[in-house]
Amino acid sequence: METSEIVWEIKKDSIRKMIQSGKRSDGRALDEYRKMEFLENYVPKAQGSCLVKLGDTQVLVGIKMDVGEPYADSPDRGNLSTSCELVPLASPDFSAGPPDEESIETARVVDRGIRESKMIDFEKLCITEGEKVWTVLVDIHVLDHDGNLIDAASIAGVKALLNAYLPKLEDDKLIYKERGDKLPVREKPVSSTFASIGGKNLLDPSYEEEMVMDSKFIIVTTEDGKICAIQKSGSGPHKREDIEGMVETAIRRGKEVRKQF
Amino acid sequence: MGGAKTDLELIKNGKRIDGRKFDELRPIKIEVGVLKRADGSCFMEWGKNKVLAAVYGPRECFPKHTQNSYKAKLTYRYNMAPFSVDDRKRPGPDRRSTEISKVSREALEKVIFLEYFPRTAINVFVEVLQADAGTRCVALTAASVALADAGIPMRDVIVACAAGKVEDEIVLDLCQEEDNFGSADLPVAISPRTGQIHLMQMDGILDEEEFKKAFDMATKGCLEVHEMQKKALREKYEKIGEVYGNE
Amino acid sequence: MKEIVVPGDKVDGKVESYVFREGNNAYSMVLGVMDKKEGYDRIVPLNGKYFPQVEDYVVGVVTDVKRGGYVLDINSPYDAFLASRRRYDNGAVIFAKVGDVSEVRSVSLTMDKQLYDGELMEIMAVKVPRVIGKKNSMVMLITEKTKTDIYVGRNGRIWLKGGDIEKAKKAVLKIEMEAHTDGLTDRITEFLK
Repeated sequence: METSEIVWEIKKDSIRKMIQSGKRSDGRALDEYRKMEFLENYVPKAQGSCLVKLGDTQVLVGIKMDVGEPYADSPDRGNLSTSCELVPLASPDFSAGPPDEESIETARVVDRGIRESKMIDFEKLCITEGEKVWTVLVDIHVLDHDGNLIDAASIAGVKALLNAYLPKLEDDKLIYKERGDKLPVREKPVSSTFASIGGKNLLDPSYEEEMVMDSKFIIVTTEDGKICAIQKSGSGPHKREDIEGMVETAIRRGKEVRKQF
Repeated sequence: MGGAKTDLELIKNGKRIDGRKFDELRPIKIEVGVLKRADGSCFMEWGKNKVLAAVYGPRECFPKHTQNSYKAKLTYRYNMAPFSVDDRKRPGPDRRSTEISKVSREALEKVIFLEYFPRTAINVFVEVLQADAGTRCVALTAASVALADAGIPMRDVIVACAAGKVEDEIVLDLCQEEDNFGSADLPVAISPRTGQIHLMQMDGILDEEEFKKAFDMATKGCLEVHEMQKKALREKYEKIGEVYGNE
Repeated sequence: MKEIVVPGDKVDGKVESYVFREGNNAYSMVLGVMDKKEGYDRIVPLNGKYFPQVEDYVVGVVTDVKRGGYVLDINSPYDAFLASRRRYDNGAVIFAKVGDVSEVRSVSLTMDKQLYDGELMEIMAVKVPRVIGKKNSMVMLITEKTKTDIYVGRNGRIWLKGGDIEKAKKAVLKIEMEAHTDGLTDRITEFLK
């Protein structure tokens, strides 16, 4: 249900008060994630896909592969392109139209996590050096917005890539119905999002919590415990000690989440 | 359409390429109320189609100058996810989506009691997550259920289904291969209660006899799907009743 | 098991609300439950926004100050206007009565009373009658067992203060979820023990 701004102000106060006393309206601990559910291969026609349910947030990622020319500065490597649609059915706040700054930020942060972790072996995606390479197209389609779209999109993207395959390529023609090789992947980046509310940093904010937060901090970590992407999103400033604490938590959480893979 | 040439045997021994009889629908699954934020929603699987419909409204109509003092403003947005089709579709509306959105909105305009909600907007959004021919029918059928789920007053739960011509046979509910290589496609939406037609389009070539046969077949298909719509809507609430007690 | 009706289903000619007539027949307009108690049939919708009716009591929030009065958000596609000499700030929670609804759905409120320091919750407006109960029986049951002050707006907004407020809120949410079932009063009494 849509609520006017002033009514939100009333809700904000009670939510902020609760969080100061260490409680969240859904009973979670400050560092607790909502229940996560994965429906892999949700779109069998795509080259890879995964629907993620994170609490009531639902994000679907589809992977398509295409053949094209390499970039001039990387003639022997394939390409990655990530985009995100915040379609209007996912939230009363989303409207139809070209991508706004939120959808672009979501796409670019998810992309950085995949790209900088070196998850995809781009050299193996070269068909003919200087002429033909594979392009991996990651499309994030948000279906239901109850907060923390970036973590949901990131894990959906990673899971979709882990199960993706190249279509068959015969004499320059793509035969989508036939599966070729598996997409060469070698990493599992994990994204952790913290919402900063009155000095407290909580993991996996719900939509309500995102409405009252001062800012967000997103950290993506790799299998060997390194950081491959960071994004501070929103205007509220962070303390240095807090950031170091969040990084430690994100690395620890990354290891736990990967066990589920 | 266009009746392109193919080596595929679309009809063999009275059966179609996917084993169906000429008047047989693809398998259909309908789920009601699957989204948290939307006021009403419906997810449908129809053959290999996967379609999600959601409704917001009646809600305040923005921009204010587009408000109508006598009735609600209805919008319908049909959109395909980039990964829903074989050749990735660039995000954003194209001409085909715009046309489908228009005729679908028009199908609903006389069914919804728009005059009960002056100055508001009722927004219908449909996302095709996986496409396998007939998506506009799946979309409208799901949208209809989502509108009922949202509590929007209507004269009926309308339903859509297509029939077409493949090789020399009139068949119900074309699948992707039949749509690619067939010679006619006729999507129809009806109000089952009155029998009136709220949407009809055709492309391809049909003589008068064939048209009547296809029209008849599509209508029968609509009525079959309508029973499934009603069942899905009732089931959502009957489940809660079973859990919490009956008298 | 109560009967569920969908838009277009034929219903008994005696049903008055949420039906439309064509020829000699009456049909349901909405997805709802047929309530066949007390010798008359009526349709209770299972979902829908709040549409103000004259005589309804609502819980609104002041969102704008105008000459001679205030604009209130009443959790409806339509805003409401309150002509009042009392002083309210933006964000004030007001319990008031719907005095008039014009043809273009402009809503006028009257008999305003400010509610201080409580908590606001929102449920589906169609479920409110169940929360109130016959002759206020349900809301009085909750107040008695939790000692919470409760103002229930027909617009789905409920204001609570004091007592075991968490239990009262949970009871309200339980009623919202199970509103269309039978035996609810007993289950709520059990829950509040």
